[in-house]
Amino acid sequence: MTNPTLQVSELTKRFGSGVTQVTAVRQVSLSIEPGEVVLIMGPSGSGKTTLLMMLGALLKPSEGTIRLNGQVISDLDEGQLPEVRLRQFGFIFQDFNLLSALSALENVALVAGMAGRKNGQARQKAQELLVQLGLGERLGFLPEKLSGGEKQRVAIARALVNDPAILFADEPTANLDSKIGHDIMRLLRSIAKEQCRSVIIVSHDLRIKDIADRVLWLEDGEFKEMTTMVTDPVCGMSVEQEKAAAQLEWNGRQYYFCSRGCRAEFLEQQQAEAEAGSVHPKSMSESDPAG
Amino acid sequence: MTRLAIRNLFQSRARLAISVGGVALALMLILALDAVLGWIERRVTAYIDASGADIWVSQEGVRNMHMASSSFSSSLATGVARVVGVESVTPILYLTNVVEAGEERTVAYVIGLPDGALAGTPWIIRAGRANPGRDGAVIDQGIAEESGIGLGDTVEILGEEFEVVGLSEGTASLTNSIAFISSRDFASLLANPRVASYLLVRLEPGVSPEQTARRIEAQVRGVTAQTRQEFAAQERKVVRDMSTDLMAIMNLVGFLIGLAVMSLTVYTATLGRRAEYGVLKALGARNRDLYLTVGVQALVSVALGLVVGLSFTLALAQIMPRFSSNMGLELRLQALGKAGAAALLFAGAAALLPIRQIHALDPAQVFRRR
Repeated sequence: MTNPTLQVSELTKRFGSGVTQVTAVRQVSLSIEPGEVVLIMGPSGSGKTTLLMMLGALLKPSEGTIRLNGQVISDLDEGQLPEVRLRQFGFIFQDFNLLSALSALENVALVAGMAGRKNGQARQKAQELLVQLGLGERLGFLPEKLSGGEKQRVAIARALVNDPAILFADEPTANLDSKIGHDIMRLLRSIAKEQCRSVIIVSHDLRIKDIADRVLWLEDGEFKEMTTMVTDPVCGMSVEQEKAAAQLEWNGRQYYFCSRGCRAEFLEQQQAEAEAGSVHPKSMSESDPAG
Repeated sequence: MTRLAIRNLFQSRARLAISVGGVALALMLILALDAVLGWIERRVTAYIDASGADIWVSQEGVRNMHMASSSFSSSLATGVARVVGVESVTPILYLTNVVEAGEERTVAYVIGLPDGALAGTPWIIRAGRANPGRDGAVIDQGIAEESGIGLGDTVEILGEEFEVVGLSEGTASLTNSIAFISSRDFASLLANPRVASYLLVRLEPGVSPEQTARRIEAQVRGVTAQTRQEFAAQERKVVRDMSTDLMAIMNLVGFLIGLAVMSLTVYTATLGRRAEYGVLKALGARNRDLYLTVGVQALVSVALGLVVGLSFTLALAQIMPRFSSNMGLELRLQALGKAGAAALLFAGAAALLPIRQIHALDPAQVFRRR
């Protein structure tokens, strides 16, 4: 077994004090292996972003420790954290956050330059990465001239340029259409596996589950069992399996619904298709927890 | 980071134009004002500089011409001429008065020249002769043109009419000109033919003006003797002293305009890119890198402003004499230094507020949804 890249122990973050105190993250523990893709999901306000900011050395935890390759980084002072972020972490944002005045190449080379690479070396490294990511024809383009997918690939190149141990991706597919979003996620997975970098993704996008090695569900600042989460096939809503309003076994597969309305709609659709002669249900059983 | 600073600066052309334009305007104000004064100072000593005299002798205690009155017996010229090393002595009369030419009235230094004067005569003659002679006057060509008169026409000086017999050049400034008449006419108007205002002393070759001036003061009582350079420096000092307050006020105005424009544009430019600076901080940029970015932007803006301001001032210096021979600009090295220092101050002060802004910027803001 390899040593974990990131080890988080009993991490807590509180904002405010007294009666207005809010605990955004409470006693979260987590271990990320090299090359592992971890997806953190959860409803809005569950503490995902706060957790990501703490893991990314952008926010000091109130309690607990974060170890990066064995070194405690949660105790480092503000002056030391930029160096950790620059050399050990790569960040990918929902809004891409490219610098509008710089070309794709310059956006990537700038971050390499910040880490001490000479201008020529920084540009060469940036160019290599962008070419690898299929942006060889877009090196001199300003961000405004790039598509969403291209911008995100530039952002990925920027995140990779200093060979970080961990990539943090905050809703990386939120501003992309589904196909491009899927491509980006596959790209992140291949980076993790081929280059042995850990990737931590925070997202609402359930489709990302497919590329993740591990999915963690954060709710009220705590990790909860993800295995209980399922998707309503009609409305697409995320539903806790044990608390699903209705469920149905259809053609040997179990479906869970957020409401009886969704189950009825699903049933109507399936029966209509069956009557049209396309599918004959081999078996069907249903249950309704609500009665 | 320098590349980023320059790209940021040039991406918003309108903001850059305002910034550079504002700084250029402010620096131009400082430069042009100094250049006008430089030109006036040069013109105000033009007569002294071109007089051909090595030493100027005046009434004891009088050290210049502008707004001064010097008067002593012309017999002192004989005493001065006896001093070792003196080649010639030219007594001149001088008053500030009004020259009336047609409808025009201009303030003028009126110089009374003796016949065959060896010093103090008009140094460039464009028409006519340099020696005014009896009832004749030599006036500045530019003044004559503006008044619509020429050779043979009549001008009124010290209340008497004189015929224009010569037109000189380089003898007018923004505020006054120089008119030459004969000492005899001048003395008769003063009703005292045995008086002189200044003695213009020429020395034998190789004689020290400083030492001779000291000798004149030691041997001739009741006079002050200065080398031409000392006398001209005193003249410039008087003009400078008179304009010090005006200069200080105008420089302050220029400085405040420049500072306000620069501060506002650098501040709004930083504010407009607050999110990007936040991203850079999140990615690991150190504060000092970002301060450098803001500093370079401010510095490049003021450098461009200085170049534009200087170019406009130089262009103005070329254009102004075409409109009037009595107006001009003389750019001085010290003024460039002053403008450069002001520009550096603009940049430094303008960068302060944005630097504070960046210092307080939380890199975690990049994860907060907009």
